[in-house]
Amino acid sequence: MNRVMINPKVHSLHNYRRKTTNMIMLVLAGVSTVIAIVPLVWILFYVIIKGAAALSWDFFTKLPTPAGVPGGGLANAVVGSVITVGIGVIIAAPVGVLAAFYLLSSQTKPFGQVVRFATDVIAGVPSIVMGIFAYTLIVLPQGHFSALAGGIVLAFIMLPIIVRTTEEMLKLVPNSLREGSLALGATEWRSSFSIILPAAFNGVLTGLMLAIARGAGEAAPMLFTAFGNPFMSVSLNEPIATLPQTIFVYAISPYKDWQAKAWATALVLIVLVFSLNILSRVIIWWRARQLGSGNR
Amino acid sequence: MDKDQFNKPVVLPKLASLGLTHSDLIPSVEPDIKIKIRNLSLYYGKFKALGDITIDIPKNKITAIIGPSGCGKSTLLRSLNRMNDLVPNTHIDGQIILDGENIYAPGFDVVDVRRRVGMVFQRPNPFPKSIYENVTYGPRLYGLRKRSELDGIVEHSLKQAALWDEVKDKLNQSGMTLSGGQQQRLCIARALAVQPEVILMDEPASALDPVATLKIEELMQSLKESYTIVIVTHNMQQAARVSDFTAFMMIDNPQTRTGKLVEFNVTPQIFTNPQNKQTEDYVTGRFG
Repeated sequence: MNRVMINPKVHSLHNYRRKTTNMIMLVLAGVSTVIAIVPLVWILFYVIIKGAAALSWDFFTKLPTPAGVPGGGLANAVVGSVITVGIGVIIAAPVGVLAAFYLLSSQTKPFGQVVRFATDVIAGVPSIVMGIFAYTLIVLPQGHFSALAGGIVLAFIMLPIIVRTTEEMLKLVPNSLREGSLALGATEWRSSFSIILPAAFNGVLTGLMLAIARGAGEAAPMLFTAFGNPFMSVSLNEPIATLPQTIFVYAISPYKDWQAKAWATALVLIVLVFSLNILSRVIIWWRARQLGSGNR
Repeated sequence: MDKDQFNKPVVLPKLASLGLTHSDLIPSVEPDIKIKIRNLSLYYGKFKALGDITIDIPKNKITAIIGPSGCGKSTLLRSLNRMNDLVPNTHIDGQIILDGENIYAPGFDVVDVRRRVGMVFQRPNPFPKSIYENVTYGPRLYGLRKRSELDGIVEHSLKQAALWDEVKDKLNQSGMTLSGGQQQRLCIARALAVQPEVILMDEPASALDPVATLKIEELMQSLKESYTIVIVTHNMQQAARVSDFTAFMMIDNPQTRTGKLVEFNVTPQIFTNPQNKQTEDYVTGRFG
């Protein structure tokens, strides 16, 4: 029998070192967490305090006043953001989900690999480049800025996020469900939409929210496409104001009143994205309740 | 093809020496054949997974496929409803004849195959939908929409699967809320709902506890009156308990790893008087 003898003295020293290392790493991890969280909380509180001060009911109901004239609101930008993001989602969501199904079914095919790689590249393209692209593709031929161009550029930005998150979520659905459906004589299409998509619904919805949050916060590409508009507009063919673009214009303006409104706009933007996330949680919770407990 | 070649009675040379006749072993003297597997070879790309398999699967009987892991039992089972079509680069030689028609013939509708040949999987895989929707999923695929008809199918299928009494008051609950054994019976009900002729079971009880396993086995006995059942199982006791016929498969050699049929016979014969040395070694637990 070969038994390693443990020297009690050496052992206790070693043990001491192990415990110290553990303690140091624990403290480091804790400090890093704080460093990561502090700016987040700070930004949030700063925006809430600064923004809430300039926020009133008028913000949502009135139109901007000329510089120097107090009062007024940014109803046009709220409406504009909803319209452009809405166009973006309407275009990007179906295309993205269908593309994700294609990628799922062609995991190993060369074309699938190419599409996946291209999607990752597009996701990494700076949004301002997307803006210039949409500018040359849509705005120049049309001869004017438009809400539609803004919506389309947002669709470009959202698309890769939707494709990749949806694909990952679809991958998580056990293959046995797909087989179960196919074994009953269902087609691929039917299995995908009746079984796989509902099973992955929560994840797909979360990915969609991520894409919306990203799109709703884009200012740079909007300068090239939707441009901005001090008046209320619901026309897809006219320039339109959006929240991020308004923040940009108002924040760099020399007017105290506009700067305050930029803070309020930032707060509204955050609240908007936040409430969308809450809404998606509520939908998920409601669906789970419909099916009784135990459904994920 | 010479038709009579496949209609000859099963040859059991050692039977006479035991003082037995055919009818002692086979409940009905000469059963109808539901599926004829003829010289079936299956390739995944260049890999030959099944080699030259010929089996007659009798109607309204339970046929078990046994053999060591990786011998192609599941592959053979899945070729009976063309689930292997889903694997890229699969190629098949030979024929699988369901009621006189080759299901691999060009133009034969794969949807039709899968409706007539249902399948129950190793792990229960209820859809994340209500119990009711799980059962009606198949009938809806084939265009049934009337609520009253669907209600009838749900009740009938769940009764056949011996699950009705346990779930009749919670048909709108998710199928995922049921226990493992209940989920597997739900999957059986789901397969029954499209009125198949054959039910394939791929180790249907391997993920279940002994009580749930027993329920599934009892269920199989009642189902065989109306359906032809083919079951793949790792569990030799299970094969001996539930099946009427048994096919024993093995790989031909460790290099090529092609699954071959070693012996096919009535179940008592396979387990008590195997004709092949390999079968005997396997069923007596000397390997595998």
